Amino acid sequence: MEQLVLDDVRLTYRRPLDETEFLALEGVSLAVEQGEFVAIVGPSGCGKSTLLLLINGLLRPSSGRILLNGRPVSSPGPDRALVFQEFALLPWRTVLHNVELGLEVTGQSAAARRAIARDNLRLVGLSAFERYYPHQLSGGMRQRVGIARALAVGPEVLLMDEPFGALDAQTRQIMGAELLRIWERDRKTILFVTHDIDESIYLADRVVVMSANPGRVLEVMPITLPRPRDFEARNSPEFVEYRRRIWERLEQEVRKSLAWQFSEAASE
Amino acid sequence: MSSDAVGGASASVQAPARPASARLSLALQRHRRGVLGTASVAAFLVAWQVVGSRDATTADLISYPTQVVATGAQMTASGELGRNALVSLQEFVYGFVPAVVLGIALGLAMGRFRRVRYLLDPLVMAFYTAPRIALIPLLVIWFGVGMESKVAVVFLGAIFPVMVNTLAGVEQIDPLWVRAVRSFGAGEWQVVTKVVLPGAVPAVMAGVRLGLGRAIIGVIVGEMYVAVAGVGRLVQVYSGAGRAAELVVLVVIIAAFGFACITGLRLLEERIAPWRRELEV
Repeated sequence: MEQLVLDDVRLTYRRPLDETEFLALEGVSLAVEQGEFVAIVGPSGCGKSTLLLLINGLLRPSSGRILLNGRPVSSPGPDRALVFQEFALLPWRTVLHNVELGLEVTGQSAAARRAIARDNLRLVGLSAFERYYPHQLSGGMRQRVGIARALAVGPEVLLMDEPFGALDAQTRQIMGAELLRIWERDRKTILFVTHDIDESIYLADRVVVMSANPGRVLEVMPITLPRPRDFEARNSPEFVEYRRRIWERLEQEVRKSLAWQFSEAASE
Repeated sequence: MSSDAVGGASASVQAPARPASARLSLALQRHRRGVLGTASVAAFLVAWQVVGSRDATTADLISYPTQVVATGAQMTASGELGRNALVSLQEFVYGFVPAVVLGIALGLAMGRFRRVRYLLDPLVMAFYTAPRIALIPLLVIWFGVGMESKVAVVFLGAIFPVMVNTLAGVEQIDPLWVRAVRSFGAGEWQVVTKVVLPGAVPAVMAGVRLGLGRAIIGVIVGEMYVAVAGVGRLVQVYSGAGRAAELVVLVVIIAAFGFACITGLRLLEERIAPWRRELEV
């Protein structure tokens, strides 16, 4: 069953610099099945992060519809949770209290919050660190807290905005495998924005390739590699073929996006 | 180095035993900061005592530690110190506490609502930069020579640093933190209580510390200008009489009060913002 539907979504906004109308997303349509892992790749500035903010409800589309279980999304709610690239943990809160944040907003009792937060910390392997402050943790551990915080509110859809983009390459591999392990457990729907093609193939059931200026869906590519996938999967001929096809689709877009960025910079 | 060995009597396996003198010098090195600090204060007190008590003229002029202690005891016993300190303390509390509460509230409002900010900005900046000492005569005309004028001096001295720093703290809030709570569906009130207030605590505390210094100066200078009672009034009286020992007693009391307040603030900050202490280590 289609759980999340984007129907001809368009977003324009006024740029503060010169007051001109800017078309960020146009004609974005996508249907996501319950329990599906969808990765979104595209050049920087293609609006893939903006798309997640729209689904979360922090932004409203200029036209088009976003439906969750058939109902239009109008504001943020606990059925969707965001994971940020920069973690966005509150530095004055301990790990445990950071994970409780969403539960406080939704008005859970203190006892329930604590229990749920501890469950989710166990899931990401951070039980021993609940009293630590974010600055005492490594980047990988901080993002585990970010994931636990998002999972704690019990979302149906997890929206991940380049969650491993700020991590080093090795940590990123491990976090990807960890995320798959967590996802295999309860199969929450995941929308995963990344600029890393390998990461998108390794993780996703489908890879959405986007173009920039305006952001559109170029292609939706099903990834039929068998699960569970291990590290070796990245060297299989099928994987290499997916990588080649996605890069082929992306390369001209990245070049166009770069050229556009240069012209923007020159005109300012 | 947990060996019980005295001097070089027995040799530990891990480290060779050291003679007592070597261990003493090691201990001195380890506590160098405390040792040197204490030494300089002690040297100063001894020098002051020796020079000050040399003859009657220098004793009158610069006094000396034992005389200061005796004078302090005498001023306490007569009730003079207690009576005046109470007046100053009241002026301080009545001016400082509302200044902090109102300063935080207005600073928050200015940081969250652009209109409030545009409304208050010119006034706040004018008052923040104006030489408040010059306001004292005006405040005396308005509020009289009693406690009220000093309360006003304290209030006006403390509220603006608290306000300006709270505003700066609110402006330094990372928009990403706000986005994170909003993504869970938080409204404006929850944004304030969960992100803005706790995030602004370090800046607010800096403002309170600054305001505290201005409040104490305000009490003393205000009373020195004109007052019926208070520690500043005593400073004024004894200064006219050229009494060094009494003046030193008063200065020590004012300094001790300031030190106690700053220490209290630090302990308070460690309680409400323990993550900061960890950051600074």
